[in-house]
Amino acid sequence: MTVPSTADAPKAPPVARKNRSAGAQRRAVALFIAPFAVLFLAFYAIPIVYAIVQSLLTVEREGTFGAPRQVFGGLVQYEQVFQDSAFWTSVGRVLLFGAVQVPIMLGLALLFALLLDSPLLKGKKFFRLAFFAPYAVPGVIAAIMWGFLYSPSLSPFGAVTSNVDFLSAELVLWAIANIVTWVYVGYNMLIIYASLLAIPTEIYEAARLDGANNVQIAWRIKIPLVVPAIILTAVFSIIGTLQLLAEPQTLRSFSSAINSTFTPNLAVYTTASVPNYNLAAAFSVVLALATFILSFVFLKSTQRKVTQ
Amino acid sequence: MRAHYGKVTAAFAISALALTGCSAGGDSTDAGAEAAACEASDGPVELTFTTWVPGMDQVVELWNEENPDIQVTVQTGPNGNSGTYQNFFNQIQAGNAPDLGQIEYDALPNFRVQDGLENIAECGDVAGSADQFVDWTWGQVTFGEEGSVYAIPQDSGPMAMYYRADLFEEAGIEVPTTWEEYAAAAEQIKAEGAYITNFPKTDVNWFAGMVWQNGGQWFANDGESWDVNLTGPESEEVATYWQDLLSEDLVSTLPSFSDEWNASFNEGQQWTWVSAVWGATTLSDGAPDTAGQWAVAPMPQWEADSQEAGNWGGSSTAVLKGSEHPAEAAQFALWLNTDPEALALANELGGLYPAAKSAADLDAFAGGVEFYGGQEIYDVFAEASANVDPDFTWGPTMTQTYTDVSDGFGAAIGGSGTLMDALAEGQQQTIDALKAQSIPVNE
Repeated sequence: MTVPSTADAPKAPPVARKNRSAGAQRRAVALFIAPFAVLFLAFYAIPIVYAIVQSLLTVEREGTFGAPRQVFGGLVQYEQVFQDSAFWTSVGRVLLFGAVQVPIMLGLALLFALLLDSPLLKGKKFFRLAFFAPYAVPGVIAAIMWGFLYSPSLSPFGAVTSNVDFLSAELVLWAIANIVTWVYVGYNMLIIYASLLAIPTEIYEAARLDGANNVQIAWRIKIPLVVPAIILTAVFSIIGTLQLLAEPQTLRSFSSAINSTFTPNLAVYTTASVPNYNLAAAFSVVLALATFILSFVFLKSTQRKVTQ
Repeated sequence: MRAHYGKVTAAFAISALALTGCSAGGDSTDAGAEAAACEASDGPVELTFTTWVPGMDQVVELWNEENPDIQVTVQTGPNGNSGTYQNFFNQIQAGNAPDLGQIEYDALPNFRVQDGLENIAECGDVAGSADQFVDWTWGQVTFGEEGSVYAIPQDSGPMAMYYRADLFEEAGIEVPTTWEEYAAAAEQIKAEGAYITNFPKTDVNWFAGMVWQNGGQWFANDGESWDVNLTGPESEEVATYWQDLLSEDLVSTLPSFSDEWNASFNEGQQWTWVSAVWGATTLSDGAPDTAGQWAVAPMPQWEADSQEAGNWGGSSTAVLKGSEHPAEAAQFALWLNTDPEALALANELGGLYPAAKSAADLDAFAGGVEFYGGQEIYDVFAEASANVDPDFTWGPTMTQTYTDVSDGFGAAIGGSGTLMDALAEGQQQTIDALKAQSIPVNE
């Protein structure tokens, strides 16, 4: 690690002469950046580099119980990744999930944000907190809670759950979508709402003078102006969808329908517990690249639309 | 969804960090086949021991009081396949594994092939203690090799059938003694609005116990390479049998050991559970309202006049690779699994059925058990234990085999494919996994 030394920075004289002030300033910058740099390197950059290194290794051994040796294997693990149909099935599954769940969630978030911003609604503070509250529940706890709500015999809504099995192979993906939506609608709503608050009120006044009603203002003025915020939340949501882990992993103890490769991240987790670290690392790298490409493509395509 | 992203990034970073630790231990080249000389350390020693048996801390307290120079700290974790094994694998790679760990027999080959176990054959009285343990358990920890002892047997899981004596009697249904009768009873019980049992898709080791009873073998190792045989005729018979029960909706498919599963037993929805001896406390804890109404009978048989039993689970206490004090660790492991006081307490608090032969004389296993209507259930299990085929071999990537077969079982329950398809798929995936790890395998 090449972390700039910070030990001597505090020793710099409080009032430096002109020719030394540049150096002192540089040291001060280093001092302030150091905490971030250390954490970024230790928990972000180095692990990523290490995962890439791991993904290029393969295991060798002799005999049935020979000790494993890691040797350079080139792209052997990546070959495995692209042949692994279960992994790609799981990628397809989360893409389907995202295609349905993300628009629903962002639609709801936008609707709630507009309602909070509308002059008609009373008790805004209460609703703002109420919509946001699920986000304060940790994902695992939310999944456990919903697991009990879905469960046929333990649910307080037994009349519904004993007739419709939300945990069956057909419905469990959408049961998870419901949990994710419940948790994150409020969070996305806040981002959009904050963006609504930043719109200058003169625009509304002008619109009213021109005879626009509230619905027209929302549709013609507010929504176009918060598109950047919606794009931001969409990118976060795409990333979050591809990384789905906690909800399906937790629901596995409620449902027989979630297998060990239900989502890409779950497949990585399962592979790492074989343990086949090299293949798990290759999966992770491919998944990270896919996430990056998808987010990038989405950003590029929406930016073009906005500027047109 | 920023926090979502952040959380998962953190998880990724942490697992990547765990991977980062690999370089410390991953390059070890010694085969570890020969037992290292096992010398006692000078001065006081501190050991760590990871287990998931409830109450083990109190058992270890007995040891700590008597052995001020060898102090053992207990760490608890989830059941092996639910997380502890993964922790062990990561810790072994990182070189910071606990000195001792609880490992089920079916996972021992997996740990050995990852070079995660110390051979303790040369430690103290270990090699000479073979005759203190039930034969097949000793075979599991030595892999049947001379000069090899990779763990000390802790408990075993001979299987029998728990059944609701009251419900069978009320309904006038004979308690089944063969699998044929069991299937017939399943239909009658379904007509009563309940299930004869639950098919546990995630407990592939339970299914293996069924195959074990039927005389099947999933793995063989001739020292040169592995044979994988998940689809032999014995496995096929078991798979077809349970597939039929599933297809006719005669068994439930709840996730086992879940709250839903407990509730189902507690409410009388489940009439039998073919399970291991340790299940006795699982049942009494999970279905307290049914106290006094259960009884235990031998497993149903494939042939009317045979006496075969399977085994499900059972653990050993292993000294993990990298322990600085293997001699003391082995000494403790031997005490833990042979000392009468320790065995009695481990049974009382953790429901363990010891692998030590002397356990048969313990008071804990004599006399009736209230939850089972005062029946002397441990006699049934002692008999079952004697009927377990001693030569069952586990594969070197059992975590993977279980996961893949379990996924297939889940698909079969969801209506796509059959249990037999799942085994065939698991067979191929296991061979692939062995090849991916450069473990020699016959195709």
